[in-house]
Amino acid sequence: MSKRIEDFIRENKTAFDTEVPGDHLWLKMEESLKKTEHSLKNSEQKQPKSWWWIGIAASLLVVLGIGYMYNQKVQPSNALAQVSPVQAKKQVRFSSMIAQKADSLQVLATENPELYQKFTTDLEGIQADYDMLKKDLVKSPNQEFVIRAMEKNLELQLQVVSQQLQIINQVRQVNKDSQL
Amino acid sequence: MEAVYIDKHVSLINECRQGSRQAQFEIYKLYAKAMFNIAFRILNHHGEAEDVLQESFLDAFMRVKEFRAETTFGLWLKQIVINKSITCLRKRKMDLVPVEELEIAMPQEEDEEDLQLQVDLVKRAITLLPDGYRLVLTLYLFEGYDHEEIAHILNISENTSRTQYMRAKLKLHRLLEKKGEKDEQKN
Repeated sequence: MSKRIEDFIRENKTAFDTEVPGDHLWLKMEESLKKTEHSLKNSEQKQPKSWWWIGIAASLLVVLGIGYMYNQKVQPSNALAQVSPVQAKKQVRFSSMIAQKADSLQVLATENPELYQKFTTDLEGIQADYDMLKKDLVKSPNQEFVIRAMEKNLELQLQVVSQQLQIINQVRQVNKDSQL
Repeated sequence: MEAVYIDKHVSLINECRQGSRQAQFEIYKLYAKAMFNIAFRILNHHGEAEDVLQESFLDAFMRVKEFRAETTFGLWLKQIVINKSITCLRKRKMDLVPVEELEIAMPQEEDEEDLQLQVDLVKRAITLLPDGYRLVLTLYLFEGYDHEEIAHILNISENTSRTQYMRAKLKLHRLLEKKGEKDEQKN
């Protein structure tokens, strides 16, 4: 008996497909497709979301930076701006790029807290170096040298974050694939 | 490793990638019925199965660029449908209907072919199974997954999958036997 039912179902699988979806379904779907495509196009043109985040990340960074420097009582950002305004601008841009990437990393990291923990420790190490350089800048006899080191440090941070993002994305892809 | 799957509908799928509505409709017509039956078997609910079907096709069309021809489009779509059906089933509060109190409705059309009659009977009995049993039985018998795969999909142990399946099969028998007895009493 037990075998019979299994065999019966396996042999007549197609006969079991008797349900039919409603005729209206395609029309409903066409509507949703149009809507999704439309909103996709719009977001591609305006990209309001990503700019928002860059703005927030950058302003947060500026506020944090000001607070930090105030605590230090020496104002290295001023020092940097005085030594080289171009460099100062460049560094702000770099930092905001790093902050943005770190942000997306954090969003993706909820699925993989262990990996994220490792990533943050790595990044914090480099960031600590950067802070040291910042302090040194005020006292340093060769400020240009320090600025170049700071720049290198930021570049390194950006590279590390980008790679981390890539890794996390790969891990997610693999997870997704294996789920399917 | 480098198995080459030949997909019958490669050109249609490529047109879908470019966003052709006509191609999307063709694909829908090709797969809607089979996919709908998969969702319906898992969910046991016409409306919910339609929702899942719609969501799955939308998802597939939006993500068709991600579809690499490592499997056939049908298999890929089926995985989306099954995943969405399971999510939907889990969201639903498990309102378990006491199975014993239900009766299998008698098929009315006596003239129909014997096979279709039997299929109807089994189908009806399957709809009376509790959600969990029906889910495992459907994945195993209809969708051809083995217990290892079911364990992976449902995030349960392989053993649980096996016992759930055994129980589901037993319940199915009882339901069908009950139906058989009733027939005999009638005659």
